[in-house]
Amino acid sequence: MKRLAFLVVIAAMAAPLVFISRGAPAKPVYVGARVCAACHDGAGMGHQYSKWLLSKHAQAYAALSKPESWEIAKISGLREAPWEAAVCLGCHSTAFGADERDVDQETFRREDGLQCEGCHGPGSEYASEAVMRDKKAAMAAGLKMPTKDDCLVCHLEKGSHIAVLPNPTVNIDEAWKQIAHPMPKPAKMGGVREREAGEYTGSAACGACHRGEEHGHQYDVWRRSPHARAWAVLSTPRAAELAREMGANGDPQSNAACLKCHSVGAREDEGVGCEACHGAGKKYANDATMRDPVAARAAGLRKGSLGECNGCHNPAHGKAFDAAEAWKRIAHPTKLPPRASEVKYKNPLRMALRPGTDELWVTLEAGDAVAVVDTRTKRVLAEVRTGAAPTGVAFTGDGRRAFVTNREADSVAVVDAAGRRVETTLPAGDEPHGVLVAPGDAHVLVLNTSSEDIHVYNARTLAFEKKLAAGRGPWEAALSPDGGRILVTNMYSNLTGFRQPLASEVTVIDAARARVEERWLAEGTNLMMGIDWHPGGRFALATMNRTKNLVPMTRLLQGWTITNGIAVIWADGRVDQLLLDQPGLGFADATDVKFTPDGRLALVTSSGTNRVAVIDVEKMLRVIEGATEEERRRVLPNHLGKAAEFVVQWIPTGDSPRGLAVSRDGKRAWVANSLDDSIGVIDLERLAPAGKIDLGGPKEVTKQRLGEKLFHNARITFRRQFSCHSCHPDGHVDGITYDIEADGIGVSPVDNRTLRGIGDTAPFKWEGTNPSLKRQCGARLSVFFTRNLPFTPEELSAVDYYITTIRRPPNRYHTPGTRYTPAQRRGKEIFERTRTNDGRVIPPEGRCVFCHPPPYYTNRRRFDVGTRQALDRTGLFDVPHLNNIYDSAPYLHNGMAKTLEEIWTVFNPYDKHGYTNDMTKDQLNDLIEFLKTL
Amino acid sequence: MKHAALCLAIVLMASAPAAGQGAEKLPFVYTKWKQFTVKDGLPDDHIFAVKSDGDRIWVGTENGLALIDKKTAKVVKTWTEKDGLPWRAVTGIDVDPKTGDVWLALFGGGLARLSGGRFDHWHQLNSGLVNDVVYGVAVENDNVWAATTAGASRFNTVTGEWTIFTEKNAPMEEIWNYGVHYRDGKVHLAVWGSGVLEYDVKANRWKDYLDPDGEMEIDLYRDDGIVHVITTGANYVDNVLWVSSYFGVCRYDGRNWRAFYNMDSGLPSDFNNNLRARSGREAWFASDKGLGAIMDAETNTWVAYTRDPKSDTGKAVVTRDKTVLETVEMGLNLPHNFIISIDVDATDVFIGTAKGLAWGIGEGYYSGLRERPRMLAENRREEK
Repeated sequence: MKRLAFLVVIAAMAAPLVFISRGAPAKPVYVGARVCAACHDGAGMGHQYSKWLLSKHAQAYAALSKPESWEIAKISGLREAPWEAAVCLGCHSTAFGADERDVDQETFRREDGLQCEGCHGPGSEYASEAVMRDKKAAMAAGLKMPTKDDCLVCHLEKGSHIAVLPNPTVNIDEAWKQIAHPMPKPAKMGGVREREAGEYTGSAACGACHRGEEHGHQYDVWRRSPHARAWAVLSTPRAAELAREMGANGDPQSNAACLKCHSVGAREDEGVGCEACHGAGKKYANDATMRDPVAARAAGLRKGSLGECNGCHNPAHGKAFDAAEAWKRIAHPTKLPPRASEVKYKNPLRMALRPGTDELWVTLEAGDAVAVVDTRTKRVLAEVRTGAAPTGVAFTGDGRRAFVTNREADSVAVVDAAGRRVETTLPAGDEPHGVLVAPGDAHVLVLNTSSEDIHVYNARTLAFEKKLAAGRGPWEAALSPDGGRILVTNMYSNLTGFRQPLASEVTVIDAARARVEERWLAEGTNLMMGIDWHPGGRFALATMNRTKNLVPMTRLLQGWTITNGIAVIWADGRVDQLLLDQPGLGFADATDVKFTPDGRLALVTSSGTNRVAVIDVEKMLRVIEGATEEERRRVLPNHLGKAAEFVVQWIPTGDSPRGLAVSRDGKRAWVANSLDDSIGVIDLERLAPAGKIDLGGPKEVTKQRLGEKLFHNARITFRRQFSCHSCHPDGHVDGITYDIEADGIGVSPVDNRTLRGIGDTAPFKWEGTNPSLKRQCGARLSVFFTRNLPFTPEELSAVDYYITTIRRPPNRYHTPGTRYTPAQRRGKEIFERTRTNDGRVIPPEGRCVFCHPPPYYTNRRRFDVGTRQALDRTGLFDVPHLNNIYDSAPYLHNGMAKTLEEIWTVFNPYDKHGYTNDMTKDQLNDLIEFLKTL
Repeated sequence: MKHAALCLAIVLMASAPAAGQGAEKLPFVYTKWKQFTVKDGLPDDHIFAVKSDGDRIWVGTENGLALIDKKTAKVVKTWTEKDGLPWRAVTGIDVDPKTGDVWLALFGGGLARLSGGRFDHWHQLNSGLVNDVVYGVAVENDNVWAATTAGASRFNTVTGEWTIFTEKNAPMEEIWNYGVHYRDGKVHLAVWGSGVLEYDVKANRWKDYLDPDGEMEIDLYRDDGIVHVITTGANYVDNVLWVSSYFGVCRYDGRNWRAFYNMDSGLPSDFNNNLRARSGREAWFASDKGLGAIMDAETNTWVAYTRDPKSDTGKAVVTRDKTVLETVEMGLNLPHNFIISIDVDATDVFIGTAKGLAWGIGEGYYSGLRERPRMLAENRREEK
């Protein structure tokens, strides 16, 4: 046995050599707890490995397959299964952020949960006995001695866990004691003894297949059971006591009588593994045999029986054994009971009439499908599943093909319209919204809101042709009546400079050549979204907000903080602006606009006030043309009384109206009521609602749905001028800074921050003064933002709940588990570095990971990074999380850094925001490439 | 034997057409020129960069950017810093063939993109660009390359990734990059002191072209490699690499190097600021003493265009080796003999000089050599 132990130690020492022999070793790498176990167990070593096996850390990964993990993931804004989500794995496993080159594939297992190296650092360089006997050398080789602060990275209270788990909080002082694993002095090296595996393969081999939902998480069920700890438990004082009572002397972990029931299988440390009940698996544990039950049985697979349990459990140390109850507890059926079904709404967003038919195609953002509606019968003919969060839809000229953008899948579904099937899916840029087919089916233009570009495909061959630079957040496109030009709205204002007025771009594209021709500016606007050309071709209308972000939010003049309306975009590039707000009643979140075919009327949706405004185009033009130049430039864009002169009707709609469509004969219009899953029909002769088309969504209003409705409704704000969505479209940011009364009036703006996946990133607010979403969205919201009665407690709870479910898109630069690019990998080393280029030790607070530890890359504290401006009331700011940091420019608390680079090239002169001034330009580039992967 | 050689010489002499007589194989000579200076609307007369783009000519000057419409031959638009141009000195221009976006190398100001009238600006503080002194720019598929004084930068316009190439990751003995050019899957960098570096896009591999004799003052062994490690421009066309330097120019066909000097070719001067190759046989060189065009590499046939500053007239001299075959007086051609930048399209040439832009109109242009009567000396001034 000693010889075997020696071999294990040698194996552990040799682990790094495995990498050397493969060439280009990645150092240091994670080797896994079992390598540590070769030395760190037995009484002489304080049973350190056994203590870990008995801890919850060892079950951390297995816990992710518990049913409650789904709810935690949901209210963490995650899209993936918990056991696949990077954010979950960050605390529930080891080697977070490592790619395959950073782990020893032969010894490391993610399923072992939070292992020794989770706290002590990757061990390949210090794991050998020679290094470990010299603490200094071990530390130099990467051994870390964690502090309680390190525990807090994961164990700081998380809203998601508090909401779901019965005992979500951890008293770190107590926990520190619980996981203490001191080494006796003098220590005597011990370790898990290797045994002859014989016919056993080990439970890990079973776990290679018997994992995941399709196998009922069987391996995880075992990992969570006492059977998996049966050997480790022999290390406890109680075990020693029981052993003595049984007349067994010495270390129970070495006692054959104890091991008979406490360790069966290939490795003693796996306790009572799968093969204890199912028989030694070497002959049957292969895919081909296991797929044939008869062959598997013939090869030794046993079913397991109560009788076998009784062999060890009845009696066991005088404890009564309820075999039937125990049988239930260890049940591990392949088929899991169905999860509580998620109420799945539809959320209709945008619409298009299919040429040559009466079909109205409606994108269902939450339904991941497109609904095909027969406008004559008002029935849903079909739903075509297209991908995650379909947003825009457009047809080829003959109506045979539809193109549907899937915002959360970064793709375009190409749909055989008659066959109601997806022909293929094209990769798009980040968060594609609008889509347009150019005349003659020459091109398909896809507007990628997050990557701020426009993909051009060949509509016939579907080949990707090119990428055009858009404005910020391209949203919707409209073709001029002569087919020559395409205008594209951009929802974010340009980055005009710190404390500079907003200006949004209208991108002008030559339709035939698919080239950007011009870029026009709509001064003072943001959230330009819906757009349509007047049939006469003289101008287009686009929805827009005028956000007064540079003046105090206390100012009421000219419509308070956010006013809403339309931009009149003339064919020569001139832009007029008119508000649709009325004194005392805002037109929050103007979202889409459509003309009637005769050009007489224009319809505009207000998703925040559940109305459609009907504009008499002639009257609107009279208002503009009757104004002086000065009035057009300065008065009309801010005039709350003008809408009365050209809006001829306000038509009530369902909840949160978004997209519009008008029938070819101009008699009807349809409006997508996104939050009541219906299409509202408008009679354009009477200018009145004419019924609804039910899209078949659930009628039940869940807490999440209530929150979603409240989030998108302006009822909460004074004069109904804006909703939560106005500043957080798609749950994200509007890309601008605001000066709120809390910390300044017109002098110290702060950058807006995303709501995607933020539930567990408290505290909130740049000064970190709000410990919870409840506080953030409660009374404070009323005082500083909405100036109206606050949400009721029930409403507040629902809004907070909804916010936690807003999903963060997948990272576009790196998929967890895949290889980093060379630049990303170099950047990761810089992110984790402890020394400057010239070898100086960087003090902990000067290292990136000190404030930005994974998985959220925030330690959720406040820190002074030297960015305080003269009128800021503090220099201490909340450490922001860095997930998907690439899509939320500008940066720093007041948005003064337009790019990630500027954070360090301009705003970190004294190394207060990490030690960066010694870095070369290529190192900074690498660091940024890595930051984009977080 | 002596007798036979004498006979052969007599036959060869007899077969050579005398000046003004008969037809012989000669290159095309540009005789129609237009000039553009500040008087014509350019923002500055120091023309650092020129780029032909379909019906348009982009002109980068020491103090602004200009656009000339080829159809009207007018300067139709200019941009200086007041108009949003991020930096005054435009030293390089390339056009993305797919999007039509115009990329600008800014001498001290980084890199800019003019797209739909909007300038986007990347510099060393707001982006991963290695240095703001940018001499040249080249669009390579979705990437944009910048030749800077501190290495080359590659910007991936899809992912936003910046990659810096210096001595750390490329065979760049010196990092002062003068020029960058992309064609046919290869990026070529002309580097001060590091010859020409070739980057194979598909293979992701570098190759360096140096002067093997290692001598800085002399080209010890002719045709052993590039003429000098201080290079100013490199163009790759038809699998032929053309290189300009301050010490002569050269051509590499993948097997053999061939150097061209003022002493034995029609190159006006060994001091060459830049070049533009039209094909594997034809390339244009921007020298400090006029414009040199090798029109047929195989026969070392050149046309040198120069201007006489005293008489304000120009001429083109056709040579083979060092033999003058023809001299064409043409009145107006170049506004100045110090040439800084060149571009060519299928027929025309565009020459940036220290005192304005010249546009050579290639009416009847033909590639290579053709039998034609020698042109009589002309002395006509083209209408502007």
